[in-house]
Amino acid sequence: MGTARNEMAENATARSQVYGLLAAVFRAEPTEVFLKEIKGSHFSKVFAELGVELGQEFYDRPEAELQEQLAVEFTRLFIGPGPHISAHESIFIDLDGSEGEHWGPATVAVKKFIETAGLDYEQSFAGLPDHVSVELEFLQRLAEWEARKWCEADAESADACLSVQMKFIAEHPIKWVPEFCAEIIKKAEQPFYREMAKVTRSFLQFDHDGMATMNADAGQGACA
Amino acid sequence: MTDMKTPKINRREMLGGTGAAVAGAAALATPLKRADAAAKAPRWGMVMDLRRCIGCRACTVACKAENDVSLGRFRTVIQEKTWGTFPKTKKEFLPIMCNHCEGNKKDKVPPCVKVCPEYPGERRKWTSPSGEKIRYRHGATYKRPDGLILIDKSLCIGCGKCLDACPYGVRSFDPFVKAGKDPKKQAADKCDMCTHRVENGVEPACVTTCQGRARIFGDLNDPESSVSKLVKEHNLETPDNVLLADEGTDPQVFYIDPDNVLKTIYRQREKGKLDHYIDQIP
Amino acid sequence: MNKLNRRNFMTLAGASGAALAAGAGGSEQALAGSIKLQKGGRDFSPTTMKERKAIPTACWGCVTRDAMIGFVEDGRLKKLDGNPNSIRTMGVICAKAQAGVNQVYFPDRILYPLRRVGKRGEHKWKRVSWDAALDEIAARLKKLRDAGTPEKFMYHYGRHKASQAATMYDFMAAYGTKTIGNHTSICEGSKWVGQESLWGGMYDNWDYDNTEFVVNFGSNQFETHTNHIPTSQRLIRAMVDRGVPLYTFDVRLSATAAKSTEWVPIKPGKDGLVMLSMCNVIMNEGLYRKDHFKYMRVTADYHASVDDKIAAVKASVAKFTPEFAEQESGVPADKIKQIARGFAKAKSACLITYRGTCMHYHGADQERAAMLLAAITNNLDTKGGRVMGVGAGWKAPSSPKAKVHKGLNIKDGFPGEAAFPTHHVSQSVLPLIKDGQLGRPEVYWWSCHNPAYVYGDNKAIEEIMKDESLMPFTISSNIVYDESSALADIILPDVTYLERWDWEDMVSPPQVAEFYIRQPLVKPLGEARCQGDVWPDLAKRIGFELVYKDKEDYVRQSCEMTPGVKEAGGFEYMKKHGVWHDKSAKPNFGFYEKTVDVSGDGVILDEKTGVYWNWKKAGVASEAEAKSKGYLGTKGAKKAYVAQNIEGTARSAYPPNTKFLKSGLLDFYSDNFAAKGFPAFPTYTPVPEHEKMGKDDLILTTYKVAVHTHSRTSHCKWLTEIKHDNPAWINPKTAAERGIADGDEIKVVSDIGEMTTTAYVTEGVVPGIVAISYHLGRRYSGIYGSGNSDPINGGAAADRDAKNKWWKKHGNHPNALIPNWSDPISGAQRWMDTVVRVAKA
Repeated sequence: MGTARNEMAENATARSQVYGLLAAVFRAEPTEVFLKEIKGSHFSKVFAELGVELGQEFYDRPEAELQEQLAVEFTRLFIGPGPHISAHESIFIDLDGSEGEHWGPATVAVKKFIETAGLDYEQSFAGLPDHVSVELEFLQRLAEWEARKWCEADAESADACLSVQMKFIAEHPIKWVPEFCAEIIKKAEQPFYREMAKVTRSFLQFDHDGMATMNADAGQGACA
Repeated sequence: MTDMKTPKINRREMLGGTGAAVAGAAALATPLKRADAAAKAPRWGMVMDLRRCIGCRACTVACKAENDVSLGRFRTVIQEKTWGTFPKTKKEFLPIMCNHCEGNKKDKVPPCVKVCPEYPGERRKWTSPSGEKIRYRHGATYKRPDGLILIDKSLCIGCGKCLDACPYGVRSFDPFVKAGKDPKKQAADKCDMCTHRVENGVEPACVTTCQGRARIFGDLNDPESSVSKLVKEHNLETPDNVLLADEGTDPQVFYIDPDNVLKTIYRQREKGKLDHYIDQIP
Repeated sequence: MNKLNRRNFMTLAGASGAALAAGAGGSEQALAGSIKLQKGGRDFSPTTMKERKAIPTACWGCVTRDAMIGFVEDGRLKKLDGNPNSIRTMGVICAKAQAGVNQVYFPDRILYPLRRVGKRGEHKWKRVSWDAALDEIAARLKKLRDAGTPEKFMYHYGRHKASQAATMYDFMAAYGTKTIGNHTSICEGSKWVGQESLWGGMYDNWDYDNTEFVVNFGSNQFETHTNHIPTSQRLIRAMVDRGVPLYTFDVRLSATAAKSTEWVPIKPGKDGLVMLSMCNVIMNEGLYRKDHFKYMRVTADYHASVDDKIAAVKASVAKFTPEFAEQESGVPADKIKQIARGFAKAKSACLITYRGTCMHYHGADQERAAMLLAAITNNLDTKGGRVMGVGAGWKAPSSPKAKVHKGLNIKDGFPGEAAFPTHHVSQSVLPLIKDGQLGRPEVYWWSCHNPAYVYGDNKAIEEIMKDESLMPFTISSNIVYDESSALADIILPDVTYLERWDWEDMVSPPQVAEFYIRQPLVKPLGEARCQGDVWPDLAKRIGFELVYKDKEDYVRQSCEMTPGVKEAGGFEYMKKHGVWHDKSAKPNFGFYEKTVDVSGDGVILDEKTGVYWNWKKAGVASEAEAKSKGYLGTKGAKKAYVAQNIEGTARSAYPPNTKFLKSGLLDFYSDNFAAKGFPAFPTYTPVPEHEKMGKDDLILTTYKVAVHTHSRTSHCKWLTEIKHDNPAWINPKTAAERGIADGDEIKVVSDIGEMTTTAYVTEGVVPGIVAISYHLGRRYSGIYGSGNSDPINGGAAADRDAKNKWWKKHGNHPNALIPNWSDPISGAQRWMDTVVRVAKA
């Protein structure tokens, strides 16, 4: 297997993993497993490198308590009742002059984009099609598929898939997720969502700028 | 009788959800009909039968919904007023909207059009329902050969001259749409007689929802239309049956008004203000 | 935060990958299927063609429930219009219906189940999954059911009708609770009780298409009505096209009064007296029609001749002279005479009443007076008169009932509060829970209901709901965060009516039943879920099964088993057309005249009452026992009613289809009433508190306007923009006596509460009262309904129009001034009786 291809697969896998994690951050209130992982040693290194400060309390609190606290914060930030940041593209995007509505034109555009890629919404999924976690999950799925194509030596498909991802990022999340994250940073009471918003914003920008897909020094390879 | 225009969709198809419904959200009304003998272009107009208006505001809200009209302004309103002394107190209701004026006797150009800096713009052709191509002068505000006074927001510069020029004060800036020629400003907006519906053979939203059937829409050029018949039957082509006849605007919205409601309750605009055009129930 | 570079990106990815592998991603992903990029993803181009649909459905903005068409574009509801094929609505809808779009997309809508984490009313919530919410509810309900106390689960609904109600009752019966509260007593319960005591049923409709004369007491037909669109358009049409006169008696110049031939101002609580006075004129001047007397019972005697009855009615109404009525009501005697003569002489005439007439002390008796006036002029269920409403009779599937099926007796008021609470006493439910003497529910679930806002003395109600020792566990099904859901333990996000299935059945003015359905126009927003879908799910979790799998299935089954609808094409036909009626059906008038075969097995004639009844169906052992006990002496005889002997012919007459045990005659002389110490014959009973008023006292009256319902529209921006403030109407004379000028801030004080509002000094209201509309003054109703005030500012971000909101006032709620007190006859809330003092603030 060519090194370059392997490296591309590695990139794609890495991107898929980050998108997967970020999708989980916004999909729902954190589970205990999730919190345990975030607190774990895997992350402590990179959080230190990145200057992500979750605060000592985050690490000291028992998971169950922390989970409850963050569930209330999640509800306050993203659900309501009361002022909250609705985590949907159509709330932020001015498309056909129709920003700021649930199930607006942006919702439909996201849905159609996803469906054109062959995916569908789970029967059990009851949210709106343009929720931030859906957009992130979509990128997770595409990047995962891309990695597989690199490994299968189907460079043409992998490359095309990457351009579909870039098209999606450019047409959708990059247009609103940074603003969404800025709102969270402003309104969060707990460090967790504030810091996760920063990571999300940075990573999305990083990926949009092509930094995450650049060939660099060869890594260990992603194709098993 | 023939259809004024073959509607892109008929009501059965719409009910079945099989056809592509007309732009926006058109309703299922009886397709507009015109007599064979009707003139080559329709002249759309409305008759308001004030005996039948019960002040229910279905028209006001239907218009908001149909045209996604922002808060703070309206495309049509009901004015209401209480007068007299108890127990002989009276109250009446008056629906008002753009009069789609014919314009003064001399040049047939209504004041809102005349004042538009983008008018007269290019010469365009409009295709009548019978297929005839009729030439007219376009503008940001212009009069179409079927009599409708329309706004082309892509040409609007947001200057607001038409808002001031309209003696009825039925125009406002649309906070949702930028002026096409000056995106720093908002475009002017007003009643367009639900053009998107009318062009597809469906009556305006305020008409189909009017429970008193106080609003009657149709072709004043067609002697067989309900509006023409009502104009004739009630002798509506008098200064007493339109708003502000003295302005010389030749309004095409006529009022059946045996109780002199217009004279009693019509609240005119105050200069530079549009308070009269905010629908309120006291 | 530091900048990302390739190195820390890879570390982040590694950590993320490990976390995901450990299950941190959770199981609830949004996307299904596998990626299929055509041509590997080259020329990737999502379709931009708009998908548009027109779907027949039905409104639910108010109980009128008009058939509609919804226009949907790419899954978003764009517009609603009337369904032109509806014989009821003739294709039009009202302002509230037009604003249905707002119901779906208003920015403060509750979209996820919420669990309270702070104190009640502290507004601290945690989003939970439907599974978690339903598991918690199921565990509570199962415990009660297993303990043999299912009645400790109370379900209290505001607006449930047709299949929405049927699925709920089906679940409750399968579960085992009869503790189901409603809201009719705060609506118009007294009107129905008055009618049921007479014609054995309820819901009057008016045949405007054929009438020649209309008299209206206390109904705002043109603005709001329980059958608004179908009736009001026919009334204005009759007036303009056929010159039918309309006389409106009202304390206030409503739009209806304004458009009437004449507004006849009247003092509050005097409608029944004026009607009796009209009867007086009609009887004395010989203007009555004999036709209906044979169906009337006007004295204790069941066998009186028509002439005797005429004499008796004349005697009974003799004291209600127009002059006496003038003195009490303020309506000139000559006006009463003129309208009475017009009414009686017209070939046919409609008598309308509503809340203005009935929501008083002895309101039920006022309705009886209305029925008397209609009966003596032969305008009951006749062409052009006051007719019995005809609605669709759907058949529906039914689940197996629970073995234990019982209820707490907290629905019918305090002991002795109401004699005939056939529509219950909903305003006393929470006070009774506080009181505790009749037991308390352990789980209280309300739906499409806002007890802390809609009842009298609403602040006290709020305190009860807040008290966990009285209300251990509460659930609210709602679309909006309001005064009551703020006090729930669990909030379940309900769908709006534009996102669910139902069959519908509201009364059809042409007197031919219209069957129609509601179907979802769009997918429920967020995680909102229809309760009809929740019931089968919840049943499973508790441990029993329902016979339908979701609401759509229930509606489908109903369509396939309902005669007429089934033959027309059942569910598929209804989905396509929305409405169906039997085109060969004749308008249903004069049901009482129908002759009945009384030769059947077990049918006997009760000599005392003239009732033919089937003793075999009445649960008595033998014919001899039946005869000795008699029809009235047999418990259960009512359901064995067959016919009434009308001058020697067995006719269906007016069967006792309600809780009242009566003969087939119109009981204008009511033993039922007499036995409980109420007037046997319609009479005039002044409101006791009004008799004791001081010279500074005023009467508070409430009303509705065309663009709002009581409590479910203030979050709709297009409606609230038109009506967001509710100043107090006060006559210039009354205002001057208090030094009040138009626009002044005033204080309105009753014995139980006070409010500050603005004076609207107008000639359009009778002196001596204040009139305040009652749909505003919301504490919590999203940004449009309650503004940016404390503490819930709403999700303004979800509407680009929010920044265009211009009104700063949000009205004031008069209910805090009105006690929860009941008409002792019917148990209906006495909305219109409160005595207040008004002064400049």
